[in-house]
Amino acid sequence: MKSFNLKHSLLFLPAVLFMLLPLYGLLTAVLNSFGRHRGWTLDYYRQIFESNRFVTSLVFSLQTALIATLLSILIGIAFTRSFYPILEKMAPRVSVWIPMLFPHFVWGYMVILLLSETGVAAQLLTAAGWIADPQQFPILTRDPDGIGIILTYVWKEVPLVILMLLPVYASIRPEYYALVDTLGGSAWNRITAVELPHLLPVLMETSLIIFSFTLSAYEVPALLGTTFPEMVSVLSYDWFYGSSWQKRPLAFAAMVSISLVLLVLSFIGYGYLNKARWRAMRGSRS
Amino acid sequence: MKQNSHIFLVLTLLFFLIPLLVLVAQSFSAPWRFQTGAGLDWELRSYEQLLQNPMLWKATFTSICIGFVVLLLNVLIGVFTGKALTTVPFKGKPWVEALLLSPILIPVLAIAMGLHIFMIRAGLADTALGVIIIHLVPTVPYSIKVFHNSYQQIGRAMLEQPHILGSGFFRQLFTVELPLLKPALRSVTFLTIVISLSQYAITAVIGGGRVLTLPLVFFPFLENADASVMSAFSLWFAVIPVWMYILVEAAILLLPYSRLPWRNKR
Repeated sequence: MKSFNLKHSLLFLPAVLFMLLPLYGLLTAVLNSFGRHRGWTLDYYRQIFESNRFVTSLVFSLQTALIATLLSILIGIAFTRSFYPILEKMAPRVSVWIPMLFPHFVWGYMVILLLSETGVAAQLLTAAGWIADPQQFPILTRDPDGIGIILTYVWKEVPLVILMLLPVYASIRPEYYALVDTLGGSAWNRITAVELPHLLPVLMETSLIIFSFTLSAYEVPALLGTTFPEMVSVLSYDWFYGSSWQKRPLAFAAMVSISLVLLVLSFIGYGYLNKARWRAMRGSRS
Repeated sequence: MKQNSHIFLVLTLLFFLIPLLVLVAQSFSAPWRFQTGAGLDWELRSYEQLLQNPMLWKATFTSICIGFVVLLLNVLIGVFTGKALTTVPFKGKPWVEALLLSPILIPVLAIAMGLHIFMIRAGLADTALGVIIIHLVPTVPYSIKVFHNSYQQIGRAMLEQPHILGSGFFRQLFTVELPLLKPALRSVTFLTIVISLSQYAITAVIGGGRVLTLPLVFFPFLENADASVMSAFSLWFAVIPVWMYILVEAAILLLPYSRLPWRNKR
């Protein structure tokens, strides 16, 4: 099958051309963050890490993204493992995926419509007499703790987690559970000994995708965030499009710092997966 | 089991179906004031106001055109790469897969900012083509993944058979592979269109505000439109993927071995 393989290597050509885009983009961003046109310098990094605004923003972004990712994954797992026999049917599956039909910022508007201080929930609670007037409703959108952002992301990403986990749960053979039961394992053992090894690769990948997205996307925080603290993406976008071009290198430095965090995390994640795969092939679990 | 399905029903209603119904109801009625004891005022004003806006139609047209080209390029890159990853054996495949997924792990805003100067030099900044190119970055990795999974389910043996029987590349693609890739084509259509419709920041950076897509109209609308108009606009976003899905479904019928609804079922 030599000719089969050789000819098929050419099929990688579109992918290679495509990969030039993100690589070139990232490389230019890195070069600009070191002041490519104005003499090489670390000054922009020093400036952003010395500014209270950026450091607060970085901590806030990491915290918001981490909470959103963990909640999405945990709720997604709980939902899929409780209901995957039901989700095999078409109608339940489609209804769970409703949020995926809308862009993130549209779902963000949905959160505003339902949960803002003048939103549907506040109005209904007032009409029902649970709270005296809508102003008593807790501030869940455009709040300084990022609750609105987290709510939108979790609501939007749980269907994605279900989408990714569903085929895995459907493919776990019931004999494995029977084996755990025969050997006297508990319900917890079912999760750790049967489900986790099956889920691990998908779970790692999904967490990385959600974490990178929630950490770096602009639209939802722009809609549901406040001005302080703000997510790094919003801050960078302001610096990039701000009144003066002087701040553009700062935008690059901020985005490159975020990219670095994500690249390191991805390397650790995939490295760990490869090691786990290697161990599984050799048959030892220690 | 019975109890489980009740819980499922309650959760799905509460978190997925009722929000959608609220959005639909709000779009067909005046902004709600339940706390004053008022009921629903059914009206079509929001849709009139929305659909009379010439910007909306222009942006919808631009968004659909951009989305359609992005989808075509996604299918092209996704099918080729998926096939190559399945049929060509080489070392370090997990790392190549991770590399191909990396564009969605790096902030796409950083990539767009980096590419901005290149786009200006190449004359692609402020053009629809530039926006199409930047929309490839967050979509193609998903498409490659979906098509790769699909090709792996088809299996190497199935792919080698038409080759052994002497059919050429395109004959293999259209008579064997694409008919088996139908589910993948459907998911890629949805994913690509929704992701393309979700891009505000990178469209604004590369399009320079000149390429007016739907998100670029949605954000300023938030400032002065009321809840009814915003709800109608939100639903408008969901109409486009559904519409595109029907279009792709029709195109899929043209593939060989499709069950044509007007023919007898086998």
